[in-house]
Amino acid sequence: MSERRGRIGFVPARYGDKIVGGAEIVLRQMAFGLQERGWDVEVLTTTALDHHGWANELPAGVADEGGMRVHRFTVDPGGSPERAELEARILRGERLTITEQQRWMNGGMRSPELYHYLLDHADDYRALVFTPYPFWVTYACSQVAPSRSVLWTCLHDEPYAYLELFQPVFSGVAGLLFQSGPEQDLAERVAPSLAPHAVVGCGVEVPDHYDPEGFRERYGIEGPFLLYAGRREGGKGWDDLLAALARIDERRGLPFSVVTMGAGEVRPPERLRGRVIDVGFLPDDERDNAFAAATAYVQPSRFEAFSRTIMEAWLAGTPVIANAGSEVVAWHCERSGAGLTYDDEYELEQCLAFLADAPEQAAAMAVSGRAYVLDNYRWDLVLDRVEERIEQWTVAP
Amino acid sequence: MVSPYPPLRDGIAAYALQSVRALRAEGHDVEVLSPGPSAAHHHLDLVGPRGALALAKRVRGYDRLVVQFHPDFFYPIGASPTQRAAVSAALAAAFRLAPHVEVVVHEIDYRHGAGASPAALAARALWQQVDRVTVHSESERTAFVDAFGVRPDRVHVTEHGAAFVPHTHLDRAAARRSLGIDQDAFVFLSIGFVQPHKGYDRAVRAFQGLPAPARLDVVGSVRVEEPQFVAYAEELAELAADVPGATLHLGFVSDELFDRWLIASDVVVLPYREIWSSGVVERARLFERPVIATRVGALAEQTAGMPDVRLVSSDAELRDAMWEAAGHPRHGLDAGPWPSADEGRAAIQAAVVERAAAMRGGPVASGTATDATTVRDRARATAPLRRVGEVHLPDPGHGRGMRVLARKVVRRLTGWQLQPVVDHVNALTRATAEAVDRTTSGGEGSTRTGR
Repeated sequence: MSERRGRIGFVPARYGDKIVGGAEIVLRQMAFGLQERGWDVEVLTTTALDHHGWANELPAGVADEGGMRVHRFTVDPGGSPERAELEARILRGERLTITEQQRWMNGGMRSPELYHYLLDHADDYRALVFTPYPFWVTYACSQVAPSRSVLWTCLHDEPYAYLELFQPVFSGVAGLLFQSGPEQDLAERVAPSLAPHAVVGCGVEVPDHYDPEGFRERYGIEGPFLLYAGRREGGKGWDDLLAALARIDERRGLPFSVVTMGAGEVRPPERLRGRVIDVGFLPDDERDNAFAAATAYVQPSRFEAFSRTIMEAWLAGTPVIANAGSEVVAWHCERSGAGLTYDDEYELEQCLAFLADAPEQAAAMAVSGRAYVLDNYRWDLVLDRVEERIEQWTVAP
Repeated sequence: MVSPYPPLRDGIAAYALQSVRALRAEGHDVEVLSPGPSAAHHHLDLVGPRGALALAKRVRGYDRLVVQFHPDFFYPIGASPTQRAAVSAALAAAFRLAPHVEVVVHEIDYRHGAGASPAALAARALWQQVDRVTVHSESERTAFVDAFGVRPDRVHVTEHGAAFVPHTHLDRAAARRSLGIDQDAFVFLSIGFVQPHKGYDRAVRAFQGLPAPARLDVVGSVRVEEPQFVAYAEELAELAADVPGATLHLGFVSDELFDRWLIASDVVVLPYREIWSSGVVERARLFERPVIATRVGALAEQTAGMPDVRLVSSDAELRDAMWEAAGHPRHGLDAGPWPSADEGRAAIQAAVVERAAAMRGGPVASGTATDATTVRDRARATAPLRRVGEVHLPDPGHGRGMRVLARKVVRRLTGWQLQPVVDHVNALTRATAEAVDRTTSGGEGSTRTGR
């Protein structure tokens, strides 16, 4: 039985109910979840909301935000001219010296005020939970009090993960929380001397009901559609997906429109113009309705530590079509039996052909997805595991 | 506080962080300015007169200016006397504008205060502007006062580790598990930036021949990718790869990882060729780990009264100290029975050579006639080089009197320049002997793998 002693500080680089970003959303839900269970919880974050420009948008200081005590600190957006060049070299897989890696890290967004707050007050907290690993706030601030630092790691198989810079973080904090077996496997490959770690999964809200027809009506959407939710960014595979869909449409005709929600510029190719519908940032209930209304949810990203969106699709009874390059998503699809994966454009094309040719079979395939989510990723189950690990890895002040 | 600062990994940055943490805990409102972007509140390129003048614009708003001083933060590397004079003058202007200036000296070249050149005068004028100078040993204090003409009451000695706090809560067993070290291993640790003057190669050579469960872990990164530093790291890696039980862990070391290695260790070995004072000694002390260190710089003063620190003056002493620490005292090697006279002089001579080679850190024969012969042959090949012996600076002598004092002063003023040459000559001798040794063993592969 958890005693729930000591304060837990959640330390995301940005925080808010409008943030689009899996790690930040989950951390927020986890913070509220633990608070509801009786933990003394606080959020320590910056005044920035946008992870591209890191502008100081909100006032610094302490405020109650929807029932959560949030302490915000100003941010230096950084952006040294050299950083973009170093970043490009990292992404090309070049080996950077440790000095260059440090310049890359410190050349971007920083928050000295948050850092010094932790320097002064880290001992007031039992645990400080950071996410995601490549952000300066996680990298720098988790080292202020490593024995209290827990990472919601969000590790992807990406060039950053292999930087020497992060080795002490992966090996030296109080603990690493992973969302899936493949994420843990990756961490063990990347850092042979891992800090204490555990797979705890990731919590997903289970909606009470869905209103797919209402969603179609409110947004004027007719006919079958593919859904994509999240950041519309190259790194998430969004641009590649649109380009592939355009080519598939050219080859065989695409019997679906594309609906997307989230943040970022949509930029559809000319061939798909008018068939890509951006519904923007949706409230939670309308988001759930969109999942239920979709013919299939498409996850084109190769860099997923968990992919909450595929869970939301399965909860809604919607099949998933996913990029097999993401070990995590492929792992979920195999375990649940409720999703198909593709390794190239032609496999994607065949996945879409299956949806079009056998919609009943596709819907039947998706049924097992809901049970998979309910059996593994309900918030109460995940919070049990998180509490257990925090109490195991940290000591109440 | 003007200093390099985390998350940049740097010894002075770590020192500054601990000072900032301590000052803030006392209730001071501390802001930090670092030479590049970091967790500091401000950053500024401080090199050159322009950097110093930019600093001057910012200092007036603070009650106290604390500078963690290393010449490279302010003076261009390889600066001419004229450039040095300009930087010193600009820094003096900056310090004059600050209400109260404290400087913690981590490294400085005392020559730059000597004589009547414009650069020397500017340097002396600069230090006159400092209200409080902090050094880490009494000898540094004396040298500083002599070199820069600063009033002695302004120069203070502080314990290097005065503000140090642990960065990990792990115990030894957990630290070892995390680093993949057996619980029953006896771990020698040399840790810090991998640079020639740290002398980690000396530790590897001294360790050579020690049987398991002893191990030597050299841990650190190359601080600056200068060709000579990179080349040294490569040579060190090659050397360690050739010595069973020795491992070079070349990579980024955070404060936490640094402390984890210390906790996991049994003895910290600091075979420095040059050093001012050592933060590693203080961190080892924090975790109550014994230290074997060379008697260079101000280490003797820094470690005075530290019972767990053993200072050595030569490679032979270093070897003795490490072997004793691991439970293999030197007399243990000598304790075995010698060949009898009946076995002949050659057998006795072979034993002499073999035991000497073992003491030197060379190959240890298993006792067979073939191995003993091999050792003897190799010893013969390297003998002319080994006969040259090591070069050492003359001992200035002990006791009082003007002559001894004069020798000490001369040594202090010239040692910084001569010691690297001496070390380099000795390193060359060793390297040449090793090269000959390897050539000799080229056709005797079993000898190298058999030791």
